[in-house]
Amino acid sequence: MPMNRHEWTALSVAFAATVFRPAFIFLALVFPVGSQQRASSPPPVTSARKGTVTAKVVEAANTFLATLTVAERTKCTFEFTSSQRTGWSNLPTGVFQRNGLRFGDLTSRQREAALTLVAAALSREGYQKVTDIMNGDEVLKNAGGGQTGGRQGGAGPGRGGGVRFGLDEYYIALLGTPSATSAWMIQFGGHHLAINVTVVGPNTVMTPSLPAAQPAKYILNGQTIRPLGHENDKGFALINALNAAQQKHAVLNYEVKDLVLGPGADGKVIQPEGILASELDASQQALLLDVVHEWVGILNDEAATAKMAEIKANLPHTYFAWSGTTKNGGLAYYRVQGPTLIIEYAPQQGDLNHIHTIYRDPTNDYGAKFVRP
Amino acid sequence: MNARRLLTSCAALGAWLATLPPAGAHRLDEYLQATRLSVDTERVDLEIDLTAGVAVASEVFAWIDTNRDGEISNAEGEAYARTVLRCVVLKVDGRPVPINLVETSFPQFRDMSLGVGTIRLRATAKVPAASAGPHQVAFLNTHRTESSAYLVNALVPANPRIQLADQRRDRAQLGLTLDYTVMADAPSARTFVLLAGLLMAGCLFLRGHSLMQIRRARAVTSSSSSRMSCPHGS
Repeated sequence: MPMNRHEWTALSVAFAATVFRPAFIFLALVFPVGSQQRASSPPPVTSARKGTVTAKVVEAANTFLATLTVAERTKCTFEFTSSQRTGWSNLPTGVFQRNGLRFGDLTSRQREAALTLVAAALSREGYQKVTDIMNGDEVLKNAGGGQTGGRQGGAGPGRGGGVRFGLDEYYIALLGTPSATSAWMIQFGGHHLAINVTVVGPNTVMTPSLPAAQPAKYILNGQTIRPLGHENDKGFALINALNAAQQKHAVLNYEVKDLVLGPGADGKVIQPEGILASELDASQQALLLDVVHEWVGILNDEAATAKMAEIKANLPHTYFAWSGTTKNGGLAYYRVQGPTLIIEYAPQQGDLNHIHTIYRDPTNDYGAKFVRP
Repeated sequence: MNARRLLTSCAALGAWLATLPPAGAHRLDEYLQATRLSVDTERVDLEIDLTAGVAVASEVFAWIDTNRDGEISNAEGEAYARTVLRCVVLKVDGRPVPINLVETSFPQFRDMSLGVGTIRLRATAKVPAASAGPHQVAFLNTHRTESSAYLVNALVPANPRIQLADQRRDRAQLGLTLDYTVMADAPSARTFVLLAGLLMAGCLFLRGHSLMQIRRARAVTSSSSSRMSCPHGS
């Protein structure tokens, strides 16, 4: 078998070492190999329970598929590698045409099975957040709202015309075959929501995903609901926990009026800005991790725990940037960016009642780390 | 400045302020211009995404659809893209560099009218090969400042020799000034193999040379010893 370049190199170096050791030592000092700094990566999670979620999610997926007719199943399923994988949006129906099964076309049994599948992949809090976003969209529709228009999710009225949103306008699609070993994906979303969960063996990944909210605050059954209230409040708590010198680093001196890496920006990584988490003290770092957990923790606890460990290990390379007022109740944008994480929180067009966010992992969107090409 | 001029200026400012939307109101009237810059040693690439809000979509469409047939032809699209690029100034190390349009895509009017259709422009600027050391790129977009919101960001360079440093923007993000350093070309694996090969050849030569010397020495020794040991030989 012919040797490759690395083998030739190794052989040459070994030979040279035997005949001229001092020169080899000199070369090794002059040309260090693999000395580039890399972000640290935590050891893989070795929990005995790892993989139990996958089994639960696979079972829920098969239960859902069993409720479908052949035609519905055809409409709902795609190849894992199909373009459907990146074909998600936060826009309403009529502006963006989703594929998969529309909730309004499902029976109550099918709908329940679909939501059970989504719930199986997410944490209890994450599923609650998803339902709060969906209910908010229904509130928006019933109020004849959605007039913010605008970019990335702007909408016309929920009823009438070509633009539709509300509870019936959420779609579910499965990419690949639900399996405990090979890669597959659940795609669930509608107006102001895009959840992409990739399952590869015991690993589940929820990037990229876009949780958003309009209205950001509403009353349902006598309860005040703020789907992204924690994201707002924890962000303000963090910026206000920084001292003046730290805020000077964290606060950008320019306005950020929208998501920088919203839908369609897969694979893009911008130069990070703001304050490095290594410049924060332990309590401030804990607040930062608490902010991050609002997105990471949407996914099931097993996967979220592993992801948070990874993010914590990369904290010295993670930035926090803020733009806008530091007084809670005002308009502010923020971004958390690390080697395996990008989170943006962006009120839309000066509207505190209309929030978009994005959650990405530039190294592992759609489970890229786990999926063999 | 006399009192009358001051009064007139204040009145004009008041009138202008009165036309602004109230704080927190829905902003339907923005034209979002989002730019991403990629810096390399011999080029700067620009990705410019333009999205018109509902209230300005018809106006923006009219800027592009100059023959008013309700569609954006290739020629109209290209003409508009060039208009946008004429409003963009790109400087590398203080010198303006020409920007060449690479690609455009335009949405349907229907999508634009909903405030979601995005115009995508891709452009590139060839720059003189940057030597190792500190450099600076400055970007400024002044297209339709009266109704636009801007985002401008630098992408993490694909070329590991480029290291981005300080970024400076104006408050509205019309412009970005970016300091970066081009690192000296690191020795490649090929160079390393070549050096190892040369070293090996040198070692072989030296060892061969030494062996020859040893053999010669042995031959001389052997010849002298044979002469000594064979005193009766001749």
